[in-house]
Amino acid sequence: MKKLFFLLSIFLLLLSTVFYAQEKTIQDKNGQNECLNCHKSDENLPDDFKSYDVHITAGLTCADCHGGDPTSDDEDIAMSKKNGFVGVPSRKDIPQFCGRCHSDFKFMKNYRPEVETDQVKQYYTSIHGIQLKKGDKNVAVCTSCHTAHSILPPKDPRSSVYALNVPATCNKCHGDKKLMDKYNLPSDIYKKYVNSVHGIDLLKNKDVTGAPACNDCHGNHGATPPGVSSIVNVCGTCHVNNYNYFKASKMGKDWEGDNDYHGCVTCHNNHDIKKPNDSFVGVGDDALCSDCHDKGDKGYEEAKKIHQELTNLSTLYDSAKVKLIKVKQLGMDDISIGFMLKDAHQAMIKARTTVHTFSSAKVAELTVPGIKIANNAIKKADEEISDYHTRRYGLGAATIAILILIIGLYLKLKGLNKPEA
Amino acid sequence: MSQTRRKFINTILGIGGLGSLGAILYPLVSYLIPPKITEAKVNSVKAGKADKFKDNSYKIIKFGREPVILIKTVNGNFKALSATCTHLQCIVQYRKDLKEIWCACHNGLYDLNGKNISGPPPRPLKQYDVKIVKDEIIITR
Ligand code: FES
Repeated sequence: MKKLFFLLSIFLLLLSTVFYAQEKTIQDKNGQNECLNCHKSDENLPDDFKSYDVHITAGLTCADCHGGDPTSDDEDIAMSKKNGFVGVPSRKDIPQFCGRCHSDFKFMKNYRPEVETDQVKQYYTSIHGIQLKKGDKNVAVCTSCHTAHSILPPKDPRSSVYALNVPATCNKCHGDKKLMDKYNLPSDIYKKYVNSVHGIDLLKNKDVTGAPACNDCHGNHGATPPGVSSIVNVCGTCHVNNYNYFKASKMGKDWEGDNDYHGCVTCHNNHDIKKPNDSFVGVGDDALCSDCHDKGDKGYEEAKKIHQELTNLSTLYDSAKVKLIKVKQLGMDDISIGFMLKDAHQAMIKARTTVHTFSSAKVAELTVPGIKIANNAIKKADEEISDYHTRRYGLGAATIAILILIIGLYLKLKGLNKPEA
Repeated sequence: MSQTRRKFINTILGIGGLGSLGAILYPLVSYLIPPKITEAKVNSVKAGKADKFKDNSYKIIKFGREPVILIKTVNGNFKALSATCTHLQCIVQYRKDLKEIWCACHNGLYDLNGKNISGPPPRPLKQYDVKIVKDEIIITR
């Protein structure tokens, strides 16, 4: 009984400590922060310190992370180990250090209930985390990406992990040739990405909601290169139609599993993805199909046909567009032609996506109606152009008629004024 | 004035007069019976009767040179938005099953306020105003 009582009291004591600790932090929200006062006046603040840091604005004090007593302006008391002062954590301890709060759902609920609390767990599944555990001190820890004292939520444009800033943040390490050489990793990924279709869309066009930054494909806390088998799935999260067509295709099935073909990247690359054009498919000099398919094989012939289908439509579409411009310039009715061209354009865009079925018949299901629409648009444009000319001739004829009338009137008047002989 | 001369002048006057009359009347008649062309620069279009429009359905309307998607939601509210997908300019549709706006080209999705919510579209769809005047649906810029 005595033993049970003893154990129970220890349990209650521990429980109260936990509650106290939790309460304390929340109370500190409005509490003193003598650390900041002294460090400020001594001009001894961390280099990256910003007063807009999310922890500071949430009312946390330096001591909430670094320990110690923030109410005392006496250095010995404030920074005494007795008061729990930990100072600057060692690099290898940083994930656990941040995780004291960020892995504690109950605690985080008080500040950001929507934020996940498994980042540390995820981190240790990442290459960074695995290497850190092995004692590698070069790898990224929380502060490498989030900074230590100017942390902001990812939606804040000032944040180092705001979508537009992510590529540059990753590039701090991944662009360091000396560091990357140690791991046999390329250091030109950022350069490639910046000029890629994704990079241009994100960094130039500022498409923060659509274009992917590094973390959209690699994950963030659990960052790893997508596995060979998951590349298609990763690209497929945004490129859904391409994914569905590819997965259902024979090529998609043949490429599954362990082989030299890694889904989308085999043709499109990974970091330097270029905006595709019709010459990618086919057997021409720029065609990617001919990297694997040789003259005479089925794939070669199919690629040739697909290219032909796309070219037929796009050539006709382009000439219809030129005619549309002419109709517009002549001031004739271009609206219905414009709408026809929108339909032809839609067929063309869809046909280009259907390329991922690798079937010329499927592509033709879209190009053939597209060609018909484009032809109709051209016909209508020709009618408008000829109508314009008819009007001009009409104007000419009207001018001549009026001229004749004037001459006739003139002669008549002249005759009237002449005295009878 | 000789007989021939008078005849000649009268013929000239006849031809000139008739031609001029034609030149005046043709544009007049064409103005009164105009061909069926939509105006290019419009600020509002009529889109039919409101009570004939079924709930949870849509129509693509020609708003000058722009296609506009007019949707009647399940709650009977009208929404009009630009129908040109902000990704590669395909024409969007309303998906009755999803109750969202969908682009078939690359599976882009927008909510009923035009916000791009999934897939490749980079920007939202522009919204138009819809007014019902005496049961007539009027879409304005
Ligand atoms: S054109 Fe609409 S999603 Fe691509």
